[in-house]
Amino acid sequence: MAGSALRRLMAEYKQLTLNPPEGIIAGPINEENFFEWEALITGPEGTCFEGGVFPAKLIFPADYPLSPPKMQFTCEMFHPNIYADGRVCISILHAPGDDPMGYESSAERWSPVQSVEKILLSVVSMLAEPNDESGANVDAAKMWRENREEFNKIAERIVRRTLGIPT
Amino acid sequence: MPVTLLDRLPMPNLRMYSSGSVVALSACVYYATQVIKDPNWSAAADSADIVGLHKEVVDLNKSNASMPDGRSMGQYVSDVFSVMIREPVCVWTMINMAFCWLILVGTAVQKLVFGELRVSEQQHLKDKFWNFVFYKFIFVFGIINVQYIDEVLLWCSWFSLLGFLHLLSQLSKDRFEYLSFSPTTPLWSHVKLLALLGAIFALSGFMLLVSVFVGFFGGFNTFAFMSAEVVLLSIRTLHVIIRYALHLYDMRQEGSSSVSTNEENRVWEKRGPIAYYTELGFELTALIIDFVHHLHMLVWSNIFLSMASLVICMQLRYLFHEIQRRYKKHRNYLWVRNHLEQNYPMASSEELVENSDNCAICWEKMESARKLPCTHLFHNTCLLSWLEQDTSCPTCRLALNIQNPSTSRIDPPDLQVDVPQPQRRQLNHFFHFDGSRYVSWLPSFSVEVSHNQLMRPEAAPASNSQLDAMARQVQQLFPHIPITTIINDLRVTRSVEITIENVLDGRLVAPAMYREPDVVPSANRPMSVLQTNCDTNLQQERNWDELSTDPVET
Repeated sequence: MAGSALRRLMAEYKQLTLNPPEGIIAGPINEENFFEWEALITGPEGTCFEGGVFPAKLIFPADYPLSPPKMQFTCEMFHPNIYADGRVCISILHAPGDDPMGYESSAERWSPVQSVEKILLSVVSMLAEPNDESGANVDAAKMWRENREEFNKIAERIVRRTLGIPT
Repeated sequence: MPVTLLDRLPMPNLRMYSSGSVVALSACVYYATQVIKDPNWSAAADSADIVGLHKEVVDLNKSNASMPDGRSMGQYVSDVFSVMIREPVCVWTMINMAFCWLILVGTAVQKLVFGELRVSEQQHLKDKFWNFVFYKFIFVFGIINVQYIDEVLLWCSWFSLLGFLHLLSQLSKDRFEYLSFSPTTPLWSHVKLLALLGAIFALSGFMLLVSVFVGFFGGFNTFAFMSAEVVLLSIRTLHVIIRYALHLYDMRQEGSSSVSTNEENRVWEKRGPIAYYTELGFELTALIIDFVHHLHMLVWSNIFLSMASLVICMQLRYLFHEIQRRYKKHRNYLWVRNHLEQNYPMASSEELVENSDNCAICWEKMESARKLPCTHLFHNTCLLSWLEQDTSCPTCRLALNIQNPSTSRIDPPDLQVDVPQPQRRQLNHFFHFDGSRYVSWLPSFSVEVSHNQLMRPEAAPASNSQLDAMARQVQQLFPHIPITTIINDLRVTRSVEITIENVLDGRLVAPAMYREPDVVPSANRPMSVLQTNCDTNLQQERNWDELSTDPVET
């Protein structure tokens, strides 16, 4: 029922605005549709994405929290676990039934006790520590492994672009 | 695609179209008024063939012809109408006008209730429209196979009205789903949408009456064809209305949840199953009616090898799968619910007090809860809907032992019972041709192809009953060998003879796990069979030769 999903999303929104986690802002794009959110994630300190502010879109299914939302960065990203179109590939966004990569244990996948906050926190930690084994972006994974300097350069360019600084 | 092609066609806009239609209609009316100014028009019309209904009108006109200007207004209008209905051009103009009206009404409703349509709604609407047109075209020309233009017109007008209502109901459903995404929808838009849904429902009731009326004259089949669609429409509309009502009730409950009493909570707990069963009932009824409707079409059309029946069959297949899927889902639901009720107790009030957290699934306060073996508490309905799709505790991932034998759901790997199966098992293809069964001199031979490959655990073992029978055969000869050993060997050889030979050669004592080359067309064991068989057959052949040559010599 969309009713309980709506109530849960409202509760999450309330919690996120009352005590927001560091470096994360999230909320519905407009009040008319609580099932489409926008999030702003700041790049974690001490990593190549430091200082960047990355906008992303979250689309919730009607049976949320039984099914996971979809998350997609709306800016350009270059990261081993982010597809070229911005979709994020992390295990907690995968429903327990499907396993696209074939190696995640069900313990790492979506469960209704997860929340927007936890998703965004895991995305932050994913930005800090890419998992180069599950390559959503094979080029990025390869570069991360073999040519870290080049990767850092590209990341820096992306960070500058999200801040509107000319590269 | 035809749809995109149609999009590119220069379609006149609505204003142009409706004004054109009005002009055409007024031209026709003017023509008719000109015709009836001539006092002898009805006499001229008499000589032309006139269809039933209009004869009366004409007769009436005749009796009034003596007073040319004394015609009443109603008389005048009916005269004009009777002239117009006899002229094909005028008839088409009137039909066009009717469609124009329908489109205008649709636009007005859209402006009034929906406002600007969203992109997904437009897309849905377009898909549904073309789908409907396609299926009804097939129905009218492929199934009913109408011959006369007036029949086509009647069906067309019926279906355009029906399709109009179908589209409106689809649109309302989409819009309702969208509105339910927002907590701040103004009451006014709910009222408008519900009023529209009510109107669609009432109209579908009226159309059902019409179809009953037509059914009295047109026979049962016509009635069934007409009513099935109408009933589908009304069921879908009613479904949306009830979902809407439940949703509004939900939201109201939310508003007053701070002062919830015990009474309200009991209703709240019951709401889950009620919503589930209404959903199930409506979906299944709609699917079954649709299925029967299509089956009826297929049986009635009587042309089993036509394009139309092919399309109907495809649709039937789809509907059947839908029904099956729904049924399986329901079985799963029942299973999980029973499992839940039998194995996990409701939490006691002390436990609820002790655990002051909200339900982790819906983040709402728990007045009653079910307790899992890992002592995590959840609302009954929340837990049920989660366990329907997964079998672990949402909080700690403890695997719950819920395995529904009726569904082929993929369980998480830690739940699967480990079936002890050899990782490397030989998959043999054993071709045995026993020619002597047909004619004694035909040779018998066998070819065995064996693969060594990693078996996937779900690969089905060779049918056990067959193996058992074969093993018993072997054991009759060698009672000292345990049957499990024989079965293991039979799994590899798949042939009684070879296993017997293995036993005789002493190979069966040690389990045969050595690697064999991938393809063994004439390896040791099969070849030996081939040779022995051939030897005996050659002897027989020789005998046969002797027998056959004897008469030649004598």
